[in-house]
Amino acid sequence: MSSGQPLVRVEELQKYFWEQDSILDRLLGAEPVPVRAVDGVSFDIYRGETLGLVGESGCGKSTAGETLLRLQEPTDGHVEFDEHDVYELAGSELTEFRRDAQVVFQDPFSSLDPRMTIGEIVRQPLDVHNVDTVEKRRERVRELLERVGLSADQLDRYPHEFSGGQRQRIGIARALALEPEFLVLDEPTSALDVSVQAQVLNLLDELQAEFDLTYLLISHDLSVIRHICDRVAVMYLGEIVEIGPVEAIFEEPKHPYTEALLESVPRATTDERERDRETISGDVPSPRDPPSGCRFRTRCPKVIPPDDVEIDQEEYRAIMDLRERIERRDISLESVGEDGGFEFVDGAVSETDLPAFVTALKTRVIDRTLAPEHDEVVEEALAELASSNWERAADVLSSRYESVCERRRPELGEESHPAACHLHDDAEESIRR
Amino acid sequence: MTEDVLRVNDLSTRFFTTEGQINAVSSLDLRIERGEIFGIVGESGSGKSVTARSVMNLIESPGEITSGEIWYRNRDLVAEVEDDYPDAVDGEFVDLLELPDDLRRSLRGTSFSMIFQDPESSFNSTLTVGEQLAEAVEVQRRASANPRSTRARTREYSLGNYLLSSVLPSQRYVSEASRERAIELLEMVGIPDPVERADEYPHEYSGGMLQRAMIAQALAGEPDVLVADEPTTALDVTIQAQVLDLLDDLQERTGMTILLITHNLGVIARMCDRVGVMYAGEIVERGRLEDVFDEHVHPYTEGLLGSVPDLERAGDRLQPIPGNVPSLIDAEMDDRCYFADRCPKAMETCLEHPPEYDAGGSDRHQARCVLAEIDYEEGRALPADYFGDTERPAGDKHADPDRTEDDVEPERTRSVVDDSGGDRR
Ligand code: SF4
Ligand code: SF4
Repeated sequence: MSSGQPLVRVEELQKYFWEQDSILDRLLGAEPVPVRAVDGVSFDIYRGETLGLVGESGCGKSTAGETLLRLQEPTDGHVEFDEHDVYELAGSELTEFRRDAQVVFQDPFSSLDPRMTIGEIVRQPLDVHNVDTVEKRRERVRELLERVGLSADQLDRYPHEFSGGQRQRIGIARALALEPEFLVLDEPTSALDVSVQAQVLNLLDELQAEFDLTYLLISHDLSVIRHICDRVAVMYLGEIVEIGPVEAIFEEPKHPYTEALLESVPRATTDERERDRETISGDVPSPRDPPSGCRFRTRCPKVIPPDDVEIDQEEYRAIMDLRERIERRDISLESVGEDGGFEFVDGAVSETDLPAFVTALKTRVIDRTLAPEHDEVVEEALAELASSNWERAADVLSSRYESVCERRRPELGEESHPAACHLHDDAEESIRR
Repeated sequence: MTEDVLRVNDLSTRFFTTEGQINAVSSLDLRIERGEIFGIVGESGSGKSVTARSVMNLIESPGEITSGEIWYRNRDLVAEVEDDYPDAVDGEFVDLLELPDDLRRSLRGTSFSMIFQDPESSFNSTLTVGEQLAEAVEVQRRASANPRSTRARTREYSLGNYLLSSVLPSQRYVSEASRERAIELLEMVGIPDPVERADEYPHEYSGGMLQRAMIAQALAGEPDVLVADEPTTALDVTIQAQVLDLLDDLQERTGMTILLITHNLGVIARMCDRVGVMYAGEIVERGRLEDVFDEHVHPYTEGLLGSVPDLERAGDRLQPIPGNVPSLIDAEMDDRCYFADRCPKAMETCLEHPPEYDAGGSDRHQARCVLAEIDYEEGRALPADYFGDTERPAGDKHADPDRTEDDVEPERTRSVVDDSGGDRR
C-alpha cells in the first residue's frame, strides 16, 4: 500500500495554547503557562496509506490533525505536503492545498448552517472553489451522494432529517467533493452506534481504494485503529511515544503506555473475564506542567530504578508515587493519626510523638510492606515531614531513588518501529545512564 | 442458593410526544438474581436506559410507565408496607409500582442506587466532595432511623425533607463520624489520598476520580441493587479499566446486585454473568454470557457482534447491519418482528410478532426469533424489497424526537474539541 515519497511530512510540530490561568493570575501579572497540546511530534504519511493517531483525551491528537492542516497556526515545526511547506503556502498554492487536503469531523454539522439542505452542504466547497458550471456541480453532488450510499432524491432535505450515520456519509461526500488526495478523519465514527460505525468504516475503506486516498485517522478507539490503519502512532501528553506498522504495534507493543492501552480495552469475547489484565493506575498529568524526562513516568508500571537499587517493581512504583505527593505537598499532616491527630508546635510534632507519627503516616501513604532497606529510607523521609520539612523529605527519596526516566527524555528513534522509552534505548545509551 | 431480587413483568414505558406515542419499552420481562451482574446491551433508542430509569422510578413526563409490575424482594419492606398496601405484597416481594411515590423514593440510596455516565450531575459544585458524601451518609442514617412504616407515617422523611437536606448547603460536616465515613467511602472506591481529596471540590477531581466519587455516593446507603447506566462511556480506556475493576471488586466485597446498561459489548463481556440484548424496546435475546456471545440465535445479536472490529486480529471486512434503528412511534410499528426490515433472514412467518423461545444454549437462553424454533428456508424468505427502501431517512430521528432517552449518544458525549490539550478537570 504505502510506497515511495511521503505525501505528508510532519517535523517537530508544536502547538501550545496560551491561556492565563485565572483572573487572579492576570492581576498578579503571573507568567502565562502554555498548554502544551502538541509538543514536538514528527511522522510521515505515505501515499495511499492510513496512518492512525491514537491516544486518550487531552493527548493532543486532534490538535495535531488540525495544525497539520493549517486550521490552527503552529507554535513551531514544519509540515510538508507533497513537498511544499504548508505554512509557507500562499495564493493559488494555498488554494490548491485547501482542495487537496480535507477533514471529516465527528459531527460534520456542528459548524454548518442547519438551514442548508444537504445538496447545498455538499455543493458548498464546489461553489467556493468555483468548480465547473452550476449544472455540472449539481450533477457531481448527485453522484457523490449516491456514492456514499444515500439517494440523490434526498438532496433537498435538511440535516436534522437524517440519522447520525447518514449525516456522517454526507460529511464524507462533502469532503470528497473537490477530489482531495488526503483526508484527516477526526473521530469519524465516535458518535455512531456500532452497527452504523461498521457501515461507515466499510465505506471509508472502499473510497480509499477507489480514489487513491491517503488517510490520517484520529481515534481513541483501538479496535477501529487496528481495523483500518496501516501504521499507527500512539500519543501521550503531546508526544508520540511509539510508531510502527499496525501489526507490530498490536502484536509486539514496545512502549509501556501502548501496552497499558491495549491491556485496558475490554474484549467482546467470553474469555474476557478470565483475561489477565495489567491496567495502570492514576490520571494523565496536566499538559501545563508535564513531568520531566519521560512523561509517562508518573504512571508507568515499569519505571526504571537506579542501577544500584535492588527493589521490587511495585515497591518502587509505590515509593515514586509517595515522592510525587511529597513534592506536591499533597499530604494533610494535621490529620495523621486518630482523634484529631498529633499536635504540631512550630510546625513539628514532639520528639516523643515522632515514632508514632511516622508509623501512622506510613500506614496512610504506603499500602504495602516494603523490604527493610527501603522501609528505612521511607521512614527517614516521613520523619522529615514530622517537622514539616517537605523539601528534605523529597530529597531523601530522590537522592536514593531518582530514575533515569525522570532525568532524561527518551527519544523516539528513526527505525520502522521506534518507541520513546529508556527500556528500548540501545546499548550505547545505557552506558550514559 | 440464588434467588431473584428483582422481577420485572410486562413493563411498558411510553412517551407521549407531539409526534405521537413512542414505545420506548414494550412488555419487558426481567429477572435479576441477588448478587449477579446483569447486563443490558443495545444501541441508541433500544430502550436500555429507559428500562433502567423505569426500575429507578425516574421516568418523567412526557414519559410514563403504562403497564407492568416491578417486584422487589425485601422482607423488611414487606413488613413495613403489608398493612397499608396489601395488594403490593406477594410473599417476600413488593410491587414497587403499587407503592406511593414518596415511599418509593425513600428506597433510593438504601435499596436502589444509580450511577450515570456523567458524574457532574450528581455533585453540587459549591460543596466539597467529602461534605457531599457525608450528607449522603446522613440522609441514609435518618432514613433508616425512621422506619418506612406508613403506620408511623414517615412524614419526617418526605420529599421535602430530602430536598431540604440535599439543597441547603451544610457547609460543614454534620458530624465527625459522617466525615470519617466519607473518607472511608473514598478509600473504598480507590481514591488515592482520601483524606486530602475529601476536602476538594468536584471541579478539582479528574473525570475518573469523580466517577469513583459518584460510586462512593451511590454506595453510601449500602444499596441492594446498583443500576449503572453507561458508567464508563465518558471515560478514557485506561480509566475505564480502573472503574470496571473497581465495580467488580465492590460487587464481590458487598454482594450487591448490579444492573449494568451499556452499548459496549466489551464491557458486557468483562463484567456480566447474564446479559439481555435490547432492540426496539424489547429484549430480543438473553442468557448467560456464553449463550449470547457464542450460541446466539437472533440475527440482531449476530449483527451486533459482527460489527465490532476485532482488537486481536487485523481487519477483515466488517459485517454491519444494514439500515437504521427503527421508528418506535406506535402508529408506525407493525405487529411483526421489529427487526424484520433489517434482518437478512426474514421470512413470511416473521410478519407475526415472535414470542420469546427457548434457545439452544443453557436453560436461561431465550431468543425472540423464529430461528430458535425453525430453520431458515430460502424459499420462504421475504423478497429483498419487501419493506421498500431500507435507507429510510430520519429513521433514528423518530426513535427519540425529544431526547427523552439518554441512549441517544452511544459513544462518548465529550466533544473531541476537548482534545485540544487542556486537562480534563
Ligand atoms: S522511559 Fe521509563 S517511565 Fe517512560 S515508559 Fe519507559 S520505563 Fe516507563
Ligand atoms: S423473527 Fe425473523 S425477522 Fe425477526 S430476527 Fe428472527 S428471522 Fe429475523
